[in-house]
Amino acid sequence: MKLKLATLLIAGLATTQASADECGNITIAEMNWNSASLMANLDQFILNEGYGCSAELIPGDTMPTGASMIEKAQPDIAPEMWTNALKESLDKGVADKRLRYAGKALVDGGEEGFWVPSYMVEQYPELATIEGLKKHAKLFPHPEDSSTSAFYNCPAGWNCQISAGNLFKALNLADAGFTIVDPGSSAGLSGSIAKAYEREEAWFGYYWAPTAILGKYEMVKVDFGTGVDKDQYLNCVSKEGCESPEATMYPPSPVSTVVTEAFANREPALLDYLNNRGFTNTQMNELLAWMEDNQATGEDAMFYFLETYPETWKQWLPKEVADKVASAI
Amino acid sequence: MSDTSWLSEFPAMERADLRAIRKTLDGLYRDFSREYGEVIESIFDPLLSFLVWFEKLLLSTPWFIVLACCCGLVYAASRSWKLVVGCAVSLLLIGYFGMWDDTMRTLSIITVCTMLAIVLGIPIGIAMARSDRVQSVVTPMLDIMQTMPAFVYLIPVVMLLGIGKIPGLIAVIIYAIPPVIRLTNLGIRLVDTEVLEAATAFGASKKQRLFGVQLPLAMPTIMAGINQTIMMALSMVVIASMIGVKGLGQPVLKSITNQYFTLGLLNGFAIVALAILFDRASQAYAKRTQAHLGDLKHD
Repeated sequence: MKLKLATLLIAGLATTQASADECGNITIAEMNWNSASLMANLDQFILNEGYGCSAELIPGDTMPTGASMIEKAQPDIAPEMWTNALKESLDKGVADKRLRYAGKALVDGGEEGFWVPSYMVEQYPELATIEGLKKHAKLFPHPEDSSTSAFYNCPAGWNCQISAGNLFKALNLADAGFTIVDPGSSAGLSGSIAKAYEREEAWFGYYWAPTAILGKYEMVKVDFGTGVDKDQYLNCVSKEGCESPEATMYPPSPVSTVVTEAFANREPALLDYLNNRGFTNTQMNELLAWMEDNQATGEDAMFYFLETYPETWKQWLPKEVADKVASAI
Repeated sequence: MSDTSWLSEFPAMERADLRAIRKTLDGLYRDFSREYGEVIESIFDPLLSFLVWFEKLLLSTPWFIVLACCCGLVYAASRSWKLVVGCAVSLLLIGYFGMWDDTMRTLSIITVCTMLAIVLGIPIGIAMARSDRVQSVVTPMLDIMQTMPAFVYLIPVVMLLGIGKIPGLIAVIIYAIPPVIRLTNLGIRLVDTEVLEAATAFGASKKQRLFGVQLPLAMPTIMAGINQTIMMALSMVVIASMIGVKGLGQPVLKSITNQYFTLGLLNGFAIVALAILFDRASQAYAKRTQAHLGDLKHD
């Protein structure tokens, strides 16, 4: 009897061991913006249903999650990381064998730039270029000082604050009468766009896509007339304290899935999936607009995506895993 | 509903209904801000220009004059040389560490916020003390103001008024005004009924009782409320800077996102230094006026 129990116990242990070998506990960072939340929920669902993991979402944001992944190897996966935002520490983490870049979360890369609302461009077509915009600087009064014009910059402390500030200098916007308004946070920045758009007021500033805001409010990216000079961007515009920045459009910003090195070694099958998983900007904008229209959470959007676009996500998965996911929906 | 799923799961509202409610309310708010936003904004315009003017004044005045004024005010309030020296040293240190401009910006908005909070708060507190009905209405509102997470109302206010000083001021006042209201109410209610009876017996009118008896006797409690209001206003500096209020909050935010802990700490200490200065000066002022009252009582 005792022997039997013991063998049962050992057998039981062995099976749990085996399943743990297959896929154990995994933590996924769910960032606080919509597209990343959608991806985190999607990864969780596919890992749990397709690969039999027990994946758990933990709330995060670019900076704290990045720091925690480098220092503590937790969470395992950051589904959507705008790597330019903390390029130095991420590159260092990769060099120190603590992090690994998996696939591109947004295949086309993020789109950054200076934007004006489309209703303004309809009225004054020349606002679509920076030269025309400088001529019409008076259209964009500063909320606290009507003698100057307002340029809404990227939130304090973000990397884009440096690049947008350098471009502000390179484009001589100060001579045209613009001053930089620091919105303080991304919520403040998007709030200022929403306010301007609802009342058809003037707005000119930095923003990025794909985002719910640019999915919902139609904006025109201002053309600097310079094209993209990638070297200039990497070596000067994106660096703090660059002496004489020159104007360039933003190159596509890499948006990757980042995993910890330990995870990459432990779960090669999952890494394959993460390497394959990526959205185009059109697709993501469509999903974000759907989320915004329906006030959906990342989880709702995940089901919507799985149900509406099977041909997309089935490409990312081996056949048998895809079947398991499909039957679980 | 023949199944028993409500036993294991909370019988929640249908998702679609909830979504409809959320969408309708959001839409209503959007329509409201589109319709009345400009009017509401123009109501606040005089306040905004005052805020801008005051900030410019503090920034453009040479630092030593501002320093002298601050020390003078501290001395006038406290009559304590120790405090004046403390004020001078902390302001000099703030300037030495390169935080002078941001500190002036914070000082200007906090001063205006506290003044407004006091001007609005004390009458409300008096009204609460005089009527139990007013008290029963205002108290839950104060509870909401103190506990509602700031971001819940911050972004709607931004949609209405844009980013910058006015929404920041509103957020700070919403958070910081409750103590002065509560403690004014409490202070007046704690005044001995016998003292009031005596005043009535001497023929004091309602107004005389309020200004001659109740408010002076409640002063220590009211001053404690004002202190708390100042402290809470300063603690909101960082939240306010999340919607574009310039000042010490912005470097704090900036350093925290980049993990520059020392920079964050320095700016944090500058906020603390301002808070302590405000607090000690007003505290000492309260003590002096109280002592003066005490003398009167013994006469």
